[in-house]
Amino acid sequence: MITLTLKQQPVVPLEAENLSPDVLAPLTHDAIRALPVYHGKHQCRLDEFFDVDGEASDQLTVRGDCTKVKWLGRAMTRGKLTVQGHAGMHLGAFMKGGVIEVQGNASDWVGAEMSGGLIRVSGNAGGQVGAAYRGSMSGMKEGTILIGGSAGLEVGMRMKRGTIVIGGPVRDFAGLQMKGGTLFLLQGAELRTGAWMIRGTIVSMKPLNLLPTFLPACTYRPSFLRLYTRFLRSLECPLPVGMHGGSYQRFTGDASVPGKGEVLVWQA
Amino acid sequence: MGGKVTCTLGEVKNRADFIIYWGGNPAECHPRHFTKYTLTQKGKFVPTGRKGRTMVLVDIRETPSAKAADVFLQVRPGKDFEMVAALRALVKGQPVDPALVAETGLTVEQLQDFVNQMKSCKFGVLFFGMGLSMTRGKHMNSASVLALAAELNAFTKFVAMPMRGHGNVTGADVILRYTTGYPFGINLCRGYPRFNPGEFSTVDLLVRGDNDASLILGADPGATMPQPAIEHLARTPTIVLDPKVTHTSKISRVHITTAATGVSAPGTVYRMDEVPLPLRPALKSPYPTDEEVMRRIREAVMKKPAWLPAANGRLAARA
Repeated sequence: MITLTLKQQPVVPLEAENLSPDVLAPLTHDAIRALPVYHGKHQCRLDEFFDVDGEASDQLTVRGDCTKVKWLGRAMTRGKLTVQGHAGMHLGAFMKGGVIEVQGNASDWVGAEMSGGLIRVSGNAGGQVGAAYRGSMSGMKEGTILIGGSAGLEVGMRMKRGTIVIGGPVRDFAGLQMKGGTLFLLQGAELRTGAWMIRGTIVSMKPLNLLPTFLPACTYRPSFLRLYTRFLRSLECPLPVGMHGGSYQRFTGDASVPGKGEVLVWQA
Repeated sequence: MGGKVTCTLGEVKNRADFIIYWGGNPAECHPRHFTKYTLTQKGKFVPTGRKGRTMVLVDIRETPSAKAADVFLQVRPGKDFEMVAALRALVKGQPVDPALVAETGLTVEQLQDFVNQMKSCKFGVLFFGMGLSMTRGKHMNSASVLALAAELNAFTKFVAMPMRGHGNVTGADVILRYTTGYPFGINLCRGYPRFNPGEFSTVDLLVRGDNDASLILGADPGATMPQPAIEHLARTPTIVLDPKVTHTSKISRVHITTAATGVSAPGTVYRMDEVPLPLRPALKSPYPTDEEVMRRIREAVMKKPAWLPAANGRLAARA
């Protein structure tokens, strides 16, 4: 068990891509303290910003308001990262395995281009959850992201596989250019949901303002959603009532691409 | 995925027989655009000038530019992305929802007619302004019209061009693009360029307070940016280079008066189609040029040790 406690708020964002269980697990206490982090343009030692406790473990806990600490858990493949407080941008980007748990809020690009593992954020997230970086062809390729609160723009942009569940309201362009995977919007979204989507599934528990390029197909009860309900219940993220009662209206789009994505809107 | 299909304004003048202005008011904001490049000039393949060209204006209100247009399409505010999505579907013969199209303020018939005109022209050009790129949806609105123009090339020749303004904004994009590979929103802290608009773009950086000093060159963010950004500029050391005292100068720590480029300093300006034009000064100025000031600041900075340990070794080896 390694515990890092933020002792000094960085003035400008601190880029700490080394704070992942993979990097820390084989290191001694002194080696962890000497790890480089980037404070703006300056390379600093980790112990200039964090109190380090413990060594040689893939169970990592970060304490404090790390809103300005970027790249936590970058490309991790195993172990567990717990953030007791807020996390900055790019949390769990390129992650391949393991678990990240954030007890506060996270910022933009949570789990961007991840290809496995589980990210759980109790608070709100920023934009581009599970998205592709600018100029990149695909976003998350596998894994699960569970956000308890709200999220920002372009959630699941260009995602290819995996599951994202957003508990709170989501802003514009959710599922932008989606190529696959499943996006659950438990409190609906603002505008342009599923814009440019090619394939994949967006499930909304609230009515959506869809683009004119989404056409209603039918109203039904998709059997595969039962599998998702069971899967998410096993992660202690129960979908709200109505999964068993009621039915879903299915929209297909985005006809402007033209794509074969589906948007399922729950009806009481 | 995206990308801009574009050309120069000379080509527009000589070839374009179908001109769309979207979310802009060129009659008032680019007053010479019609007469020099797009509408009234006779071109090599448009020998009849204005008679040989069709112009469509898409905007949220009837501006003075509408008088110059053959067709004016009034789109409801904030519905541009929806309208472009429907147009892209119609271009490919895909179905759209008539009720949702009606929410854009236009009917499917109007859009279909617009699409037919776009497909049947010989050389189409779509100019888009800040009414599109700076309203809700922002970069995605621009991306959608660029995608529309690119896709129309399956039927005819079609290009798109942003209506840039305010001095040399195109020049800043062009220079950054050929020096770093990216046009804006670039971070060089780690010694190599990284591009991420939203994270590194100026307004987001300032609003979040992610920088601890600013150098402002040829811009006046104090007049245009949101209040939190302005407050951050006032809170942290800010240096402004400008020929005149601007809103930003008033909140900055240092203002360096420079010669006005094009009036009393030579230089290069990039036209909105990215054609570089030399500027010859008509007057002399007692003040240094922007370039001179930047060069002297850079020389002073170069005397300091480099911030990356690896770069220090390299610099020592060179010296």
